[in-house]
Amino acid sequence: MATATARADFKIETSTRSLGYNLPQRMGRLLWFPMFLMALMFFGAGMVLGIVRADEISDGGAADTIATLQHVQAGVMFLGFASVFAAISFAIARILGQFRAGGGEAQAAARRSVETLKMPGTAKLFIGLMAVALMTIVVASVLHLVFAFDIDNTPASLADAEERFIVLEGVRRTGVAVFLFAILLGLATIIRVLRFQAVRMRELPDEEPTL
Amino acid sequence: MTALAELVKRPPPDADPTQKLRVRNVAIAVGLAGVALVAAALVGNLLVASDDAGVDNLFWTFGVSITGFATLKLGIALVLTGIVVRLWMRVDAVRAALPHLKADSDPEGNVQYGNIETPFGPGTLTEKAPGLLPPQAMARIMWKPMILMGPMLVLVGLALSFATTGADDPDTSQALWAWTQGTQFLGEAMLLAGISFLLGTILAGLREGGGEVQESLGLAVKTLRMPTSAKFFLVLMFTGLMLGIAQFVLYGIAAYVDDPATWFAWLGPLRELSLGILLSGIVLALFTIGTVLGFQHWRIRQIIETGR
Repeated sequence: MATATARADFKIETSTRSLGYNLPQRMGRLLWFPMFLMALMFFGAGMVLGIVRADEISDGGAADTIATLQHVQAGVMFLGFASVFAAISFAIARILGQFRAGGGEAQAAARRSVETLKMPGTAKLFIGLMAVALMTIVVASVLHLVFAFDIDNTPASLADAEERFIVLEGVRRTGVAVFLFAILLGLATIIRVLRFQAVRMRELPDEEPTL
Repeated sequence: MTALAELVKRPPPDADPTQKLRVRNVAIAVGLAGVALVAAALVGNLLVASDDAGVDNLFWTFGVSITGFATLKLGIALVLTGIVVRLWMRVDAVRAALPHLKADSDPEGNVQYGNIETPFGPGTLTEKAPGLLPPQAMARIMWKPMILMGPMLVLVGLALSFATTGADDPDTSQALWAWTQGTQFLGEAMLLAGISFLLGTILAGLREGGGEVQESLGLAVKTLRMPTSAKFFLVLMFTGLMLGIAQFVLYGIAAYVDDPATWFAWLGPLRELSLGILLSGIVLALFTIGTVLGFQHWRIRQIIETGR
């Protein structure tokens, strides 16, 4: 049974054994690899689509086909970026899980009370912003794919396609920026966890062992 | 930059671990500035889409967006330097605490040095702490020039993007636009390579620190052999960086060709592929760090429980 306490500037939970991984960390351990594989597939597909589109332009292909390929290529490539940023976020969560579970197990092995850092504010923001950014990029990419199949070979339709592309370009770039900021916060959380571990390790020798 | 280099030097063993690192807050502020730049570029894109601004404004919105990404990556690099410093403080804390926590045990008799199996993969058992692996030694040197050159190239590209916006002559515009894209994405690739090298520096610190702690206790030193994920990380990192350089050279050619639209159509995905591969390498580097940390916690527990 864990109890929540606050000391110095760390909010901690005290227990008799390691608290193990929390839910986001378990998800991180499970999902980093599928996301990594998806990213590689989307990047490869995006590159192939780019070459196909270049070939169409070179051969003087129809304007609507070229515009369609532009939307599809951007959508696929940015699904790749969404996947790779998700994989990075999950890998960071996995690292935080190693600190949480491993740090607790080391304290338990030393027969001291197990103190675990409660989830810091930066970690909560990391998860929240990651979800927002992921949704932003995925929605923008899906809209690219939806709009791609709504293009006719008329000046009005082609102009609409161009306008939509410019808007979605800005939106997905903003999604990438928010994702990078979320990753920054995830890494900043590691600094805090490392500080806590260093402080806690130095405390252990002065504490009485529990039974 | 000198101050940044100082930051990754090992803190003294008696450094106060309760003291907060200012670099963490600076990095968050830098990251927010990056988000603001990209948001400003988004406004530019929306104005162009609604016909309130000319299409040529898309050149500078591109430049500002990429500069925003570079600013965010610089923030991430700053956080990683903070992690390197904190890892050394953790090493010193573990080294100070373990002699008081480890179980009493008789000296080991005939120790069989060589290859061992651990729950985290193959490792080695040695009398002394093993040195750094060549890629780790390289990472410690290389992150600094990469982090220095990356932002410089991105800023040169930003200036070129503004010059493209104001260019009237089509040939000049084509050349400037090609160099803008090539230069900025080479800068981005270098920044990501710098971040990769910083992750390699973290892995170097984990290896060196883990060996140092075990050796200071007079124990046989258990070290993980280079995991497969680390080998793939190196392959992806160098592939991504090479593609980043290649796209720069190819944009240099595209600046003066007769059919730039064809060239830009495949160079755009190529430059994104180079960053995507570098980012994929970073995923594997982070996975490797997680594995090494799991091994270290397992080893600390083993020393506490068995004294060996």
